[in-house]
Amino acid sequence: MNEEFPYLKDAEEVVTVQRGPEPGGAKGAYRAFGETLRGLRTTMARLIEGPMTIQYPEEKTPVYPRFRGRHKLHRFEDTGLEKCVGCSLCAAACPADCIRVVAAENDPDDRVSPGERYAAVYEINLARCIFCGYCEVACPFDAITMGHEYELADYNRGDLIFTKEMLLAEPVERTPLRREGE
Amino acid sequence: MSDVGGHRSAPARGGDVIAATTAEVIGSSPIERTEAGDALEPEHELLTVNMGPHHPATHGVLRLLVSLEGEEVLDLKPIVGYVHTGIEKSCEDQSYWKVIPFVERMDYLSYFFNMQAFCGAVETLLELEIPPRAKYLRTIHLELNRLHSHLFWLGTTALDLGAISMLWYALRERDTILDLFEMATGQRMHTRYFQVGGVFEDIPVGFEDKLRAFCTEMPARIGQYEALLDRNEIFLRRTRGVGIVPRERLLELGVTGPLLRAAGEPWDLRKAHPYLAYDEVEFKIPVGTVGDGYDRYRVRMQEMRESVRIIEQCLDGLPEGPWITDERKVVLPPRDELATSMEALIHHFKLVTEGFRVPPGEVYYPIEGPRGELGCYVLADGSAKPARVHFRDPSFVNLQSLREMCVGGYIADLIQNLGMLDPILGGVDR
Repeated sequence: MNEEFPYLKDAEEVVTVQRGPEPGGAKGAYRAFGETLRGLRTTMARLIEGPMTIQYPEEKTPVYPRFRGRHKLHRFEDTGLEKCVGCSLCAAACPADCIRVVAAENDPDDRVSPGERYAAVYEINLARCIFCGYCEVACPFDAITMGHEYELADYNRGDLIFTKEMLLAEPVERTPLRREGE
Repeated sequence: MSDVGGHRSAPARGGDVIAATTAEVIGSSPIERTEAGDALEPEHELLTVNMGPHHPATHGVLRLLVSLEGEEVLDLKPIVGYVHTGIEKSCEDQSYWKVIPFVERMDYLSYFFNMQAFCGAVETLLELEIPPRAKYLRTIHLELNRLHSHLFWLGTTALDLGAISMLWYALRERDTILDLFEMATGQRMHTRYFQVGGVFEDIPVGFEDKLRAFCTEMPARIGQYEALLDRNEIFLRRTRGVGIVPRERLLELGVTGPLLRAAGEPWDLRKAHPYLAYDEVEFKIPVGTVGDGYDRYRVRMQEMRESVRIIEQCLDGLPEGPWITDERKVVLPPRDELATSMEALIHHFKLVTEGFRVPPGEVYYPIEGPRGELGCYVLADGSAKPARVHFRDPSFVNLQSLREMCVGGYIADLIQNLGMLDPILGGVDR
């Protein structure tokens, strides 16, 4: 075998698969019943395993902690200021070009973020987003993270452009989450 | 087409005349087609049918222009390009780390393989050695992806042949694999888990137990699939002796993967040119004898068993240590350093905005995908963006053999041949 296939280091590495029986004939007539029954036995034995499906809209699939769903923007819990300082690194990292950030100077008397600047406009076009999570990776301040929400369908494309207020707001309905290691 | 009248006296069946005439029929104008039909004897009527691009059995948007005489396929021409997205061109406009989510979306059932082909190519250009743990983690995910791809092939192809329950069974196990992907990488498909230099993050707590449970269960599940299909009379009649192309011809056409191995050629890049951890694990190459649809089915089933074996060995030998290289010019710094180290923050900004530069050069990096040799060609010009990214997709090359499989057979066998060929149109068109 090795003369025929010089790239093969060891003929032991190859296993030839079995050929099935020739169809037709008397054995074929037997198989049409016998093997069908055997197949049915396999199918029937699955009955005790119970259904694998869930009643979806009522019962939701829980997601894993690492699941990347709809984005969330965050505030500092103590001061209530936005974490985003409008540095546009997320927009630079986005392969789909779906993030638009317009930064503005902070007014020292009425701060929006703790830094010098803040995001005056922060929009994510979820119709373009590919949920790769590079924005989350790029953000040096943990201001944007991928949430767990996965029900994102809408009737208009325009409604899929999420503004800063929508991304800062808590999701209406929480997605069930699996525990770490579950 | 100028000499249609000359064919009139020739025998209408079997000869070269039909092949020549139908070859002209395909792609010719309606008037010429009528003339070619007139050239045949009245009882032999040629029918040119468009199968697809929206036919469920084409597994994507593939259009097959088929010339039929009754139920017999006289000629066939696959027409591709309906999901051409220009991904390869788009890649030239992105920095290297941003290319990864793009190439994943080519062959959408083997995204880990696409990532590995691209990352491996860039790592070769950078002369970057990835840590042993990353190699093992990549191997585990590649083999899980192979299982996932073969399971989807099994479900849809068996469905085309009438075994509807196979789809539910195969998709059930596929869902377990997708769950594992979600757990480790955060996404069920298109995970962007592989990065240049290693993998994005370590596997989470509990992943190994879940994967081990899956590996214990999977061989029994494959046994169940085989109990349903292996000796089923309908399945045997549909697959045995159908779509045979000689091994030499397959090699001429550049066909690789399970199709070639089913014809008896033990060509597997995991053995021939080992990459990642494949030279440290033990597995066998399943080969067929005849190269018909049945052999293709058996080879893929056996490959799934071997994949499970590889995953188990990788889990046993999984080394401790870092999962991504600490080459700071290429890899993002760890997150906890961003708040403390100014240098890390500068590297982070530089890598995210500009990306890393790759020294000029070109490389072709082939790996064994679920459908055959998946190669990635990268041309670097010294900047942070690739000058050219090209994929040698196995689906595209394998599709060339479809005509030879189908000509002379029945139209029902065409469905079987296409199913066993397992083309993914996202990979064909890119």
